[in-house]
Amino acid sequence: MSILSLNNVHKNFGETAIIRGVDLSIRAGEKHAIIGPNGAGKSTLFHLISGRHHVSSGTITFKGEEIQNRPPHEINRLGLARSFQVTNIFPRLSVFENIRCALLWSQGYGYSFWHLLGRQTALNDKTAEVLEQISLQDRARFPAGELAYAQQRALELGIAVASGAEVIMLDEPVAGMSHSEAENAVDLIRRITEGKTLIMVEHDMNIVFDVADRISVLVYGEVIATDEPKKIRGNPRVQEAYLGEVVTGA
Amino acid sequence: MALLKKSAVWIVFALTMLILPQIFDSVLGISILNQMAIAIVFALSYNMLLGQGGMLSFGHAVYFGLGGFLAVHTLILIEAQVLTFSIVLIPLVGGLFGLLAALFVGSFSTRKAGTVFAMISLGIGELAVASSLIFVSFFGGEAGISGDRTYGPPFFGVEFFQDSEIYYVAAAWVLIATLFMYLFTQTPAGRLANAVRDNPERAAFIGYNARWVRYISFCAAGFFAGVAGGLFALNYEFLTEENLNAITSGRVLLMAYIGGLGYFIGPIIGAVALTLMNSLLSNYTDLWLLYLGLLFVLTVMFLPRGFAGLIMMHEVAWRRRTLKTLARPYLLTAIPASLFLLSCIGFIELAHLEGGSLSYLGMMLDPERPLTWVVLVAVVLASFFATRYSLPQLRRAWDEANSLRDEES
Amino acid sequence: MLEVLTFATLNGLVTGLLLFMLASGLTLIFSMMGVLNFAHASFYMLGAYFAYSISLQFGYWTGLVFAPLIVGVLGALVERYGLRKVHQSGHVAELVFTFGLAFLIEEAVQFSWGTDTKNYQTPESLNFPLFTLFGQEFSAYRGFMIAIAIAIFIGLYYMLTRSRIGIIIQAAITHPNTVANLGHNVPLIFMGVFGVGTALAGLAGVIAGPVLTTFPGMALVLGSIVFVIVVIGGLGSLAGAFIASLLIGLLQSFAIASDLGMPDLLNLLGVEFARDHPLNDLWTLTLPQVGPVLPFLLLVLVLIFRPAGLMGKRES
Repeated sequence: MSILSLNNVHKNFGETAIIRGVDLSIRAGEKHAIIGPNGAGKSTLFHLISGRHHVSSGTITFKGEEIQNRPPHEINRLGLARSFQVTNIFPRLSVFENIRCALLWSQGYGYSFWHLLGRQTALNDKTAEVLEQISLQDRARFPAGELAYAQQRALELGIAVASGAEVIMLDEPVAGMSHSEAENAVDLIRRITEGKTLIMVEHDMNIVFDVADRISVLVYGEVIATDEPKKIRGNPRVQEAYLGEVVTGA
Repeated sequence: MALLKKSAVWIVFALTMLILPQIFDSVLGISILNQMAIAIVFALSYNMLLGQGGMLSFGHAVYFGLGGFLAVHTLILIEAQVLTFSIVLIPLVGGLFGLLAALFVGSFSTRKAGTVFAMISLGIGELAVASSLIFVSFFGGEAGISGDRTYGPPFFGVEFFQDSEIYYVAAAWVLIATLFMYLFTQTPAGRLANAVRDNPERAAFIGYNARWVRYISFCAAGFFAGVAGGLFALNYEFLTEENLNAITSGRVLLMAYIGGLGYFIGPIIGAVALTLMNSLLSNYTDLWLLYLGLLFVLTVMFLPRGFAGLIMMHEVAWRRRTLKTLARPYLLTAIPASLFLLSCIGFIELAHLEGGSLSYLGMMLDPERPLTWVVLVAVVLASFFATRYSLPQLRRAWDEANSLRDEES
Repeated sequence: MLEVLTFATLNGLVTGLLLFMLASGLTLIFSMMGVLNFAHASFYMLGAYFAYSISLQFGYWTGLVFAPLIVGVLGALVERYGLRKVHQSGHVAELVFTFGLAFLIEEAVQFSWGTDTKNYQTPESLNFPLFTLFGQEFSAYRGFMIAIAIAIFIGLYYMLTRSRIGIIIQAAITHPNTVANLGHNVPLIFMGVFGVGTALAGLAGVIAGPVLTTFPGMALVLGSIVFVIVVIGGLGSLAGAFIASLLIGLLQSFAIASDLGMPDLLNLLGVEFARDHPLNDLWTLTLPQVGPVLPFLLLVLVLIFRPAGLMGKRES
């Protein structure tokens, strides 16, 4: 039951081929990690799926619909949300408003200029709920730009999740965090993505092996293996890609 | 009770507007108040674009002017008895025409914010001015169009011969327009405008097409600019191509920026300040535009959040009740700083003088005598260094007043 | 007919090349720093005024040499102490700053030189007709203008593509951080480019001042057109600016020279409108009337359909 699939996706930037024919199939409800050496094209892949870049060729199908080359806001409305490698929030809005804005579309407000936000109890309650989920309820009135780094990452996660998307894409969610911060973050990720599909780009192998149901390995713009964590560990092609040689024994 | 608290600001606002004409009841006073009213609505509408939406426009006067022109034509039609309705509704007519124009222009100009948007707005502004000289029947060419507001049906017995009577119409519209523009910021469209301003990419990833968000703000801003234009028409009964041109567009940019973009009240401050400068300062010196230019450039460089920002910077200290501790440090800096300002102005005024002496601050300054210059320059330099010398103590006091020492966070 | 055509072309060429002198500096600054310098035409005006004042004492040629230098230094100072400070407040603030600067410079010029038009003369040595065509003279001074403008284009082109500093500048346009890491003083380069750009504008002022009149409104007159050119040509493309300058110069020249208008078009179609028709203003429109507007129409159209301009690489 594939909720998101990529078929022979290519992406060139000018003369350079970054993604060279990626086939990927993500099952609904699974936690899928994408790993690979630097420069393999992981972020580009995310950008292609989320609509930030157009594909040079190939198709991307989400819930049965083709989404390649569609504008990001349309893809988002279909139920796919993402976070970014570099923290990408609304710095001048308060934490509360960041989350509330993220909820607006899914709560049916559209581009309304006749609803007064202060009076929308259901909306505000839901916002408070999400804030509690990401443990930022104490910082609700702070401008988002003034939060500590780890908290901004949590906020970003909250924004991605708030819209109730079924597929959440996280791009290096714990980058730059201390060990304990990362632990908390992973905890949060697990809680928040329960029942949803998670696609995660991550470098920290401990986290990857901990969280993922399946792992895809991206090397030079191609997926060289997609499998369960244990099998990936023992896969000779993967070992070669990372270590430059095949390792005997697990 | 909570509603009363929230509306307290608005009640004070309304009361202030009712009281002001009683205090400043001269012809000049009323005229200035009327000008302020127009400027406030215009500047607030501009802030919807720039402060709220992050769209820098060099052609906002187009919607102001178009609204004004249609308003004057409506007055003419009322006078000719082709139409009959009370002139208090004229600003609405102006607003609707401004909205119409914005609906058209916005359909292609809001695709991007930033430099492209600014350039399109500049182009549209120039096109509008050029058209106004071509389509003479609507715009009156270089002579403009004039009308008469006293021919409408009386409004509760008032026929609006007096500027003071128009003031109350203007004040009512200012109140209504300001209220609605404020409420807009509290709606999804208004908040999303902020979000798109800060991070258009992210806005897309929460499901919103940045372009539509900008378009809505743009149209709303055009509407209220048209309202301001209608008020202008009521007040002056006369419009020319000047009201569409880049200078008018530039003036509203100045108002909003100096007042402070990031705060709702900023443009109000800017509008009031600039109207006063325009009316009062121009009586004392020919150079007031030069000073305005200097003020603007310095504000952009040193006070990016405008004067509203300067005031709001003190919010922390006010909440912590440490504001009092800043009084003396400010005074110590303000004295040399004011001296510096005054001596610079004196220098500039004296340099500009063409013969005779300058009457300045109760003194007679003779440019022929070298002593005058020596003393002036000496004061400028001395006060400059004195100001610099006083800054560290101000900075220390500021840090202390804002420190987190005994504050629970 | 041929006479009109020839002179329209020549005049268009002169105008176009003059516009290019301004547009080249603006493009350079924009390419490098992403800032559309609203005050660019103001430096043009300063060039004219400084040259005028210098020429009163020392003659035209001294003015030609020193005025651009003064303006360039002023420009560098503006960049160093003004623009750089505002840079941290964002792109919008930079644009607003240059806008305020334009306003301030205009007021300062009025303060220093007065509001009247200055009698800035072309030099005696160039006051002869270069050639006579169809009974009309083409002055040597105009030929001189053409020569200088072309020389600038060639000079800029070679400097940017062949010289070492040119290569560094080109690199700094797209990768300022990398260039800084390679040990080059990027802020100094920025200041230099801004200075050179404004000096070019000043030079244009020195040359155009006698021909286009030296008065406080001269910046406004040309300022918007130059923006139009830079945008149409493609923000960041020098070649595009050159083409667009010539295009606009010729377009305006031809529009003004011809007498064509809506009445001719309507006649062709056999349509006639009564004189008191509400849209009479539209039906009596002529090209010379519309001439000044054409660049802006073009601007809006280009921005709508091709925001990258004719040859643009960098869209802001």
